[in-house]
Amino acid sequence: MSHSMMKTAVTTALALSVLAMMAGGASAADFYLRAEGLTKNMPDPNGGPDLPVPMWGFALDDSFEGTELEAADVPGPRLVVPPGDTTLTIHLDNNLSVPISIVIRGQTATMTPTFFTDDQGRQRVYSFTHETPAGNATQVTYTWTGLKPGTYLYHSGTHPQVQVQMGLYGGVTRDAAAGEVYSGIPYDEEVVLLYSEIDPVLHEQVDDGSYGTTGMTSTIDYSPKYFLINGEPYTASTAPIAAGNVGDRVLIRFLNAGLRTLTPTLLGAHMSVIAEDGNVYPYPRQQYSLALPAGQTKDAIVEFPASGTYPVYERRGSLTSAGGSSPGGMLRFLEVGP
Amino acid sequence: MIPRLVAHIGRLSVVVTMFFSFSVASAYAGAEIDGLTGTDFTFTAKADCVSGADGLSLFIWGFANGDGRAQYPGPTLILEEDIPVTIHLKNEISWPEPVPVSLVFPGQMDVTATGGDPGLLTREAPPDGTTVVTYTFTPTEPGTYHYHSGTRPDLQIEMGLVGAIIVRPTGFDPGSPRAYAHADSAYDHEYLFLLTEMDYNIHRLVEFGRMDEVDTTTFFPVYWFINGRNAPDTMLMAGIPWLPTQPYNCMPRMHPGEKLLMRIIGAGRDAHPFHPHGNNARIIAKDGRLLQSTPGAGADLAISDFTLASVPGQTIDAIFEWTGAALGWDIYGHAPGDDPEPNEYMPDHGKAFPVVLPGQQELTFGAAYSGSPFLGVFGDMGPGEGGLNANAGYFYMWHSHNEKEMVNNDIFPGGMMTMLIIEPPGVPIP
Repeated sequence: MSHSMMKTAVTTALALSVLAMMAGGASAADFYLRAEGLTKNMPDPNGGPDLPVPMWGFALDDSFEGTELEAADVPGPRLVVPPGDTTLTIHLDNNLSVPISIVIRGQTATMTPTFFTDDQGRQRVYSFTHETPAGNATQVTYTWTGLKPGTYLYHSGTHPQVQVQMGLYGGVTRDAAAGEVYSGIPYDEEVVLLYSEIDPVLHEQVDDGSYGTTGMTSTIDYSPKYFLINGEPYTASTAPIAAGNVGDRVLIRFLNAGLRTLTPTLLGAHMSVIAEDGNVYPYPRQQYSLALPAGQTKDAIVEFPASGTYPVYERRGSLTSAGGSSPGGMLRFLEVGP
Repeated sequence: MIPRLVAHIGRLSVVVTMFFSFSVASAYAGAEIDGLTGTDFTFTAKADCVSGADGLSLFIWGFANGDGRAQYPGPTLILEEDIPVTIHLKNEISWPEPVPVSLVFPGQMDVTATGGDPGLLTREAPPDGTTVVTYTFTPTEPGTYHYHSGTRPDLQIEMGLVGAIIVRPTGFDPGSPRAYAHADSAYDHEYLFLLTEMDYNIHRLVEFGRMDEVDTTTFFPVYWFINGRNAPDTMLMAGIPWLPTQPYNCMPRMHPGEKLLMRIIGAGRDAHPFHPHGNNARIIAKDGRLLQSTPGAGADLAISDFTLASVPGQTIDAIFEWTGAALGWDIYGHAPGDDPEPNEYMPDHGKAFPVVLPGQQELTFGAAYSGSPFLGVFGDMGPGEGGLNANAGYFYMWHSHNEKEMVNNDIFPGGMMTMLIIEPPGVPIP
């Protein structure tokens, strides 16, 4: 069903949900996530050696500090909550050197913010909810109840202006029913396009410890140089994404984990934009492009008029690697069969 | 002697104003959007320059109609629904280095490209000046669209390779025009608002051949354009000889009670909150599709808004109306028993102007003031005052409400701004 990111994770998630159902029709989805550092290589604009960028990512385990099912990556594993589940639980294992947490905007959880006292004695919020300490020996659990169907982002709710940029984000979806993204809105195939960005300066400084000390003290000068879809910039070797066949109702889930408004644009077909942040529009909107603000998700159904290759490109020009080379950045091709 | 001379000059200025008004009005081709009609077009991509309204010269790459000069934006194509079109593209861009160029048409289906070289998004014209890439498609839906280069769009859109497409609905009647095949899209006048911006540094680096230093991720525009011009050049006539690469203007005019169709294209890289002073506008379509609940329902999902969000790459169509409703006084200065004007807002008929105007010596006049608060009425002003309001209309500033975009390289006023003129009944608007 999925031709998108994190194929392994989706399979695993489905397997877990099957296990959960075998265990007695439980209505809760459980995921064990591990956070740790990793390095992503970004292409050099002038064809030189790749730039290694230190990042923070999530990975799926089978239990707390149990078998590691995969290496950490950015974005983190897509969490697929089965349609029958209305409760989501994430057990967090934090192998990073700072406390982190997980929030999902648009889903309901009991939030317990974490505060710190600044040098003027003021109580200031540091984390939107309870933290998982660095190197935690026991699992820290995050629970969402009354899950709504749709497309959502999960990400760190701790020091988010740094931790989200560092890579602590991923997609979480729940269908209303098998093959129905929302109640009464069926689809045959799906494509996930999760957008994010990298400003390598922040990553270097966080990694070498100079961020907040001898280096920059805030993210105010954010200037992303690499523009990612599903964790990778477009390169000449990026494979097209299979998007079903002519006549299929193809669901495209757009997620923006970056910090800027983006405008994904589809060439060759109009989309029926059906939902925003997991909320179904009263009437679908027929557009070839959409505004995708930072942190937002949108869902669209496309019925491609003919077989072929359809580009989806970011119309604000996030189409380079480090501003100098092209092709690059937020571009993908959707492959539609006959 | 001196007072008489002053009075004489005053009279002369009125005469000059009237002459000016006549020449302006007769030269407007703007009520119907300027552009190319037909089914077969040839574009040539060329390097050239445009003038900022502050006089600065900005190096561009633009599309020329045939073998003409490059223009910014490229030629507006006015097409007909379901009639196939062909666009031939040649490329003469050799400065600062030969670069391939192409065309993509967001919102159009089944675009075929032949000739030239294979490119990333479509086939490209190599910069040899002779190779022709031919794009064909059939616009199957009416509406407002745009085209741009599909080759390195992060740079080539910025450099100027972008233009508007208007698709007339089947059975289009110029005497009773509609934007779409429904009465909800009927209008009296239509105007194009193709919104772009330019980062001066990028254009300068390209002009000086320092391509290696061009970094499109640090994009920081300082010029903002409507139809390729900065204010106040937006309000000059179309096709004036001293702006040879910026042939299109944006001078919207209407009479009270009429419907003005705004075709807004987010053709640059930034969103622009376009604000029509004077009234809300009703957004009836986006990306060339009526906002409708079901096919044939008309624009039943239209949105009335006072600031129109123009998203990069997106188009919106909006209907603007103005009658002076609910101002609380009669804009024509009628006495209660006078005959009404066409489309007059009758609840205010004959209502007196609510304040006593200060004396002339206590006022500073704007160049667009007629000397009177009443529509179509000129009043006395000091010598040399006024002069830009040819018909005693009402002027409303229409502009990006991102206020920093109303400048030309940091100098106000300018940028993404023009004026709407509410003209008195009877003033001809082409």
